Amino acid sequence: MDSALIPEGAKRCSFPKFAIGIAIVGAVLLWGVYAMFLCWFKGLNQTNMNDYYGFALWIWADLAVIAVGGGAFFTGLLKYIFKVDELKNIINFAVIIGFICYSSALLILAIDIGQPLRGWFIFWHANVHSMLTEVAFCLSCYFAVLTIEFIPNILENRQVNRVPFFHHLAHNMHGVMAIFAATGAFLSFFHQGSLGGVAGVMFGRPFAVREGLLIWPWTFFLFTWSAAAFGPCFTLLVAKITETITGKKLVKDNVVHLLAKISGWMITTYIIAKIIDTIYWATVTIPSLGFKLSHFYTNNSFYGYWILITEVVLCGVVPGALLIIKSTRENPTLRLIAIVLGVIGVCLNRWVMVLQIMAVPVMSFDTWALYIPSWQEIATTILPVAYGIILIAITYRYLPVFPQEQELNSIEPATEAE
Amino acid sequence: MKQENNKAHKFGMVIDLDKCTGCGSCMVSCMSENNVPFKEDESNKKDSITWMRVYKITNGKSFPDTEIVYLPRPCQHCGGKGDHGHSPCVSVCPATATDYGYDTGIVSQIYTRCFGCRYCMGACPYHARYFNWWDPKWPEGMENYLSPNVSPRMRGVVEKCSFCYHRYQAARDKAYVDGRDDIEEQEYQTACTTACPAGAIVFGDLNNPAHAVHQIVKPDPHPDPRNKHIVGKSRNPNVFRLLERLGTNPKVYYLSEREWVRKAGDNYLEGEWDEIKNHHGSSSHD
Amino acid sequence: MKVDRRSFLGLGLGAVAGIAVSPVGIKLTDDSSIWTQNWPWTPVPVDGEVSYESSVCSLCPGSCGISVRKIGDRPVKIEGLAGHPINDGGACLHGIAGLQYLYDPSRVKTPLKKNGNTFEAISWEDAISLVAAKLADIRNSNAPERLAGIMDKDLGSVSALFKRFFNTFGSPNIYTLPTLESNLQATAATVHGKGQTIAFDLENADFVLSFGAGLIEGWGSPVNGFKANASRKERHAKLYQIEPRLSNTAANADKWIPVKPGTEADLALAMCAVILKKKLFDSKAVANFKGGVNKLNALLQKTYAPSKMAETTGVKSSDIDTIATLFAKAKMPVAVFGKGRGDGAQSLKELVAVHTLNCLVGNINKKGGAFVQPETAYLEFPAESMDSIATDGLTKAKAGRYAHQVFEKINAASQPVVEALFVYNANPCYTLHGADNIKKALGKIPFVVSFSSFLDETAKQADIILPIHTFVERLEDVPSCAGLAKSVVGLTKPVSPPIFDTKNPGDAIILIAKALEGDIAQSFEWDSYDDCLESVTPGIWDDLSEEGVAVISEGIPTGSVAVNVSFLADNPATVQAQGDDSLTLIPIDNMRLPSAGTAASPFAVKTVSDTILKGTDSVVEINPLTARGLEDRGYATLTTPMGTARVRVNLNEGMMPGVIGMVEGLGHDFDNKYVSNKGTNINDLIGPVIESGSGLDAAFGIKAKISKA
Ligand SMILES: Nc1nc2c(c(=O)[nH]1)N[C@H]1C(S)=C(S)[C@@H](COP(=O)(O)OP(=O)(O)OC[C@H]3O[C@@H](n4cnc5c(=O)[nH]c(N)nc54)[C@H](O)[C@@H]3O)O[C@H]1N2
Ligand SMILES: Nc1nc2c(c(=O)[nH]1)N[C@H]1C(S)=C(S)[C@@H](COP(=O)(O)OP(=O)(O)OC[C@H]3O[C@@H](n4cnc5c(=O)[nH]c(N)nc54)[C@H](O)[C@@H]3O)O[C@H]1N2
Ligand code: SF4
Ligand code: SF4
Ligand code: SF4
Ligand code: SF4
Ligand code: SF4
Repeated sequence: MDSALIPEGAKRCSFPKFAIGIAIVGAVLLWGVYAMFLCWFKGLNQTNMNDYYGFALWIWADLAVIAVGGGAFFTGLLKYIFKVDELKNIINFAVIIGFICYSSALLILAIDIGQPLRGWFIFWHANVHSMLTEVAFCLSCYFAVLTIEFIPNILENRQVNRVPFFHHLAHNMHGVMAIFAATGAFLSFFHQGSLGGVAGVMFGRPFAVREGLLIWPWTFFLFTWSAAAFGPCFTLLVAKITETITGKKLVKDNVVHLLAKISGWMITTYIIAKIIDTIYWATVTIPSLGFKLSHFYTNNSFYGYWILITEVVLCGVVPGALLIIKSTRENPTLRLIAIVLGVIGVCLNRWVMVLQIMAVPVMSFDTWALYIPSWQEIATTILPVAYGIILIAITYRYLPVFPQEQELNSIEPATEAE
Repeated sequence: MKQENNKAHKFGMVIDLDKCTGCGSCMVSCMSENNVPFKEDESNKKDSITWMRVYKITNGKSFPDTEIVYLPRPCQHCGGKGDHGHSPCVSVCPATATDYGYDTGIVSQIYTRCFGCRYCMGACPYHARYFNWWDPKWPEGMENYLSPNVSPRMRGVVEKCSFCYHRYQAARDKAYVDGRDDIEEQEYQTACTTACPAGAIVFGDLNNPAHAVHQIVKPDPHPDPRNKHIVGKSRNPNVFRLLERLGTNPKVYYLSEREWVRKAGDNYLEGEWDEIKNHHGSSSHD
Repeated sequence: MKVDRRSFLGLGLGAVAGIAVSPVGIKLTDDSSIWTQNWPWTPVPVDGEVSYESSVCSLCPGSCGISVRKIGDRPVKIEGLAGHPINDGGACLHGIAGLQYLYDPSRVKTPLKKNGNTFEAISWEDAISLVAAKLADIRNSNAPERLAGIMDKDLGSVSALFKRFFNTFGSPNIYTLPTLESNLQATAATVHGKGQTIAFDLENADFVLSFGAGLIEGWGSPVNGFKANASRKERHAKLYQIEPRLSNTAANADKWIPVKPGTEADLALAMCAVILKKKLFDSKAVANFKGGVNKLNALLQKTYAPSKMAETTGVKSSDIDTIATLFAKAKMPVAVFGKGRGDGAQSLKELVAVHTLNCLVGNINKKGGAFVQPETAYLEFPAESMDSIATDGLTKAKAGRYAHQVFEKINAASQPVVEALFVYNANPCYTLHGADNIKKALGKIPFVVSFSSFLDETAKQADIILPIHTFVERLEDVPSCAGLAKSVVGLTKPVSPPIFDTKNPGDAIILIAKALEGDIAQSFEWDSYDDCLESVTPGIWDDLSEEGVAVISEGIPTGSVAVNVSFLADNPATVQAQGDDSLTLIPIDNMRLPSAGTAASPFAVKTVSDTILKGTDSVVEINPLTARGLEDRGYATLTTPMGTARVRVNLNEGMMPGVIGMVEGLGHDFDNKYVSNKGTNINDLIGPVIESGSGLDAAFGIKAKISKA
């Protein structure tokens, strides 16, 4: 039915099967869209946020998708700048995931702010001292870059590519992609950092505050580093899921091993930095403000030391080790465990840096504030996931995302549709 | 430079916790002065807009040694580290919708510019900022008591205590019309100050030695030798600020003769209080 | 033109690019943000000329001077009036929120007539003629005493007009609800003789021994009390607070002495025993006691010695001794009585026992002591014109000594005791103990007329509601009272034109009188209440109208005062709480909630802590030791002999073990979602306990049990 659009030589499931799959995920998407409109028209009273929890589930989701979307800039950096050529076989996919993550992040922000129609004041009345201003500028620019990086892939669609103009455009864009990748890497480096800075500069919040370098608190660097480290884990994880669902091998093992290895070393170095940061914060920063570490992990029903240990050891040290050791890295099960732990770890880190900050009492007479998101918040948080699944399904079906697909899957010659 | 400093006001407050009765007049006076809305259920204090909030604090001891004190908390109009005007909230606002008035020390809030990102709320350790989760609604006819001096806020923006800035503007206008350079201490008093039946709140210019706030606080002109971010520490042994150690440099000071009350104003490691409690600004170190 | 794929795509892209670079997008973006800044559903206050008018707040007995800021015709803010002799600047939250009463859309907007279960709007003419016709019937049946009346207080010209109306009508059955002032008068009558009242010079006392008086909880003239209390710090004056709970007053005091509820009288007498035994009394003062103190002393030493009262009161005998000694040795001590706001149930034994401390140390009519002074008199009404029905009616016995006895009688009788009832500015169906029984009694009265601004619990029981001005809309004289150490009359002024079709209650009663014609009408020959007020205040009208306030007396009263302690020497019994459960439920007075019939304003409710009201549940205070099995903030069922309530629990170390505290002023059930249907009315859970001898309802609490819900 839609075979004319399917990449030449690729085998795809039947259109009805595809349509049913999309419809199911689409229903979830519509649920999210409904919740989104509720938030826009009725206001943020649809959420369970409150004056203690001004930042909550959404901002976590925002930070988390951006962190895991870090695979795009980091893979791009390695491919185009450091010329790690094998990565060309996964770069398209990394870019698509990045595009999904960043468009989701922007959508979430548009729902999250109390006055969406004034969102652009962040640019118009920009305050250069605010980390969020830095985030907004870099995020928007990088999204533009991602779009540019995504376009050639779209232009490679069998039908589009027939138009000579688009054919040449795609070709030429590939040629200059290194410039965009470099710009993207730079921008992404900054906004990942500024997102970390968002928490670190809050000197009224001892749980968040960090000392740092020049105008940036350590969390600035930790966020960039962790996004670069864990982002590829997410790329690999989504690739693995796509492979499982399509029942095909899409990326060669050597590419996967290489990315996993790089990720492993990044995670390991990151986690060492994170441990040093935590120790410095716990022994120098917070005591100078009158706090003991236990203040942040006791006297409440949720945030115990478990969260710190899970984030740093189980979801940091462990995946790092599994991915730098050749034998465990090349063992598919252990590698999968490592990348799953890694993705959980970075998401947990973002959770802690958004929600636990809000929960911890600062005034001596204040109490812990816990919060449970409303269904509208959950629906709008799942919305980007559904959107992501749909976009991956569509791009996979109609675009030549994985250059190694044909080679890895012996396919009958494609039939001409027209 | 020096002249410039002398000219700039630094409006601030001292609240005598030994006098405060927890009566709530300041809260209501603030709400009615500043067109603060109300809704059906205000018992969830985490979404109840009270620019002035009166906290009840106990000494944690059991019957009959329990003691309580009430602590009224307006916006602290933080000067930020080193009192340079980078208050926790102002420095983070991406749209410059909250700003530091260098001529007054007042932290403003521009409702029509705020786009409701709530970063400032997260940054404020005093929970002095409130978000309009709902459209403000007045029962039919009640909007007749709204004052034109302060615009009602729309849904989706943050609001907070302004030190009744419109009263400052009015006083300044009057002085101007009268051909005076500056306003008198009594010409600019906040709505909570004038309402307090116990006279627990004193308001004025911390920079002006003739003003009562200055005389009570005796602000230290030098940074705290123990923490250079802290400026304007009180040299009155009974005066303290909330979370002073964070370096937020609030312009709201509290007064109490009770040691446990002063201790409750900040966080201290074990044993630290005994060392710190007798330290009252740089001069006590001389 | 041939539209091929290429030109189509080209055109499409061109259009997108064109719109993108045109100003349309920017314009729309800008417009939409401006629209959000001017949402038509967010009100924009109308501007106008600013003016200030001074007046007096009459929401409570405080009688504070207020300044009302207006924009054009619109009052927009109430603040305390600087320089006013009572409050000099400050105001309480209820007064400040007063405009929320004025503009409240749930006010009674026109006269209403009960029609089955609903009310229908009628005109003032119809309302007055309906009332007059019914009253004429009662008179024609020669039973004028069957018209009864309840007012909030017996002060000022409007109350006087109501009394005048009842006199000329021929009914002795006009009552006031218990107030601090009525309790002060009852105490004065017992110890010093009738026609007097007691005041406390708190501004000058150097040792205040308060038996549960909520000096900063709304007792007396609240703002004045706050000021006197705050000035202690500069004056180095001491406050010792005796009560079962760490109230705000106790917390603010120099010392809190927890006492078992209901044993304050015993404690006061034990202190009297110490003073007498240690001969710490003022011998000159005691020499003037009528009948001497020997009989009392013998009783005290035998029955009320500190060693005997320690167990009863929960206060160590050494503490009783120390505090009594400190009190007696202080330069300007004063013992203050009237638990909580001093207006609810009080035992005369307790009031008199505490006041005896004042009498013993000889601080009556001394600086910083207790003042005994004649009741304020400044009204000069012309003689009443009485017909024979009136003169006959007035000779009949009153239906009861106090209002609650009248209601009991109505409930007990099978025949109507009362044919018609006037309720003015009072809400007995809410404020009296066993509120449900009061509602039942009102249901049995054939014709109830309510003079009210709000459709409160009592007005809802009425057959006719005559809507009256709020204090912001009416002219009225407001005499100070409630233990204030100076006597002033303030003038409440109509700073706002009437918002609805309401009248001054004085005008309403004048209209009814005129409609009745004859002698009654003759006694009410004023054109309006405003004229009446001017003519009945000849001595002070100039001050009132020009200054807004007239000072009747200030400073220490002169002249000697008789003291008679025979009431105590007869050893009246101490009132016990009803029921036999092990815990005692007591009411808590909280400044942020009015205990009187008027519900709190939305602003005031907003300030109420979530440890008092959470959602629609009252939160009760209980010591963790007593609260076995109950969780902090958890639900519980509270049961008393009068009823059951679902509540939440606040584990509070400031509560004496064995006692449960519940705030007064919640649980209103009229049609205002901001203030009603929140929490429980404690008066539904406590029944009246009549003190033998005084006839007062002296139920300080009730026995109760509480279990996890
Ligand atoms: N909270 C709050 N903040 C506000 C506003 C508000 O309504 N509420 N309004 C906003 C608006 S609309 C405005 S325009 C701004 C105004 O804010 P500003 O521009 O700060 O206004 P002013 O303080 O009136 O004037 C600034 C200075 O100019 C000086 N000046 C007067 N005449 C002259 C002159 O001839 N030459 C020179 N060199 N100096 C002169 C005055 O003495 C004063 O020190 O405030 C804004 N800020
Ligand atoms: N006395 C005095 N006069 C001045 C000045 C001064 O400082 N003092 N400053 C001068 C200057 S610089 C200026 S800019 C002008 C400003 O003068 P105006 O424009 O009159 O400014 P405001 O009085 O601040 O606000 C006007 C009205 O707008 C309402 N309002 C607030 N928010 C909104 C909204 O979102 N939508 C709508 N529709 N209405 C809203 C307010 O409640 C108020 O009633 O005044 C000038 N005149
Ligand atoms: S008005 Fe004064 S006494 Fe009352 S709570 Fe506020 S500061 Fe305290
Ligand atoms: S108290 Fe909070 S809102 Fe006020 S200036 Fe300080 S940080 Fe900002
Ligand atoms: S909520 Fe408004 S004031 Fe606060 S940081 Fe965001 S834009 Fe600024
Ligand atoms: S200073 Fe003004 S705005 Fe701030 S709390 Fe007091 S009354 Fe409210
Ligand atoms: S104390 Fe009473 S009279 Fe005074 S302002 Fe409050 S309610 Fe009005």
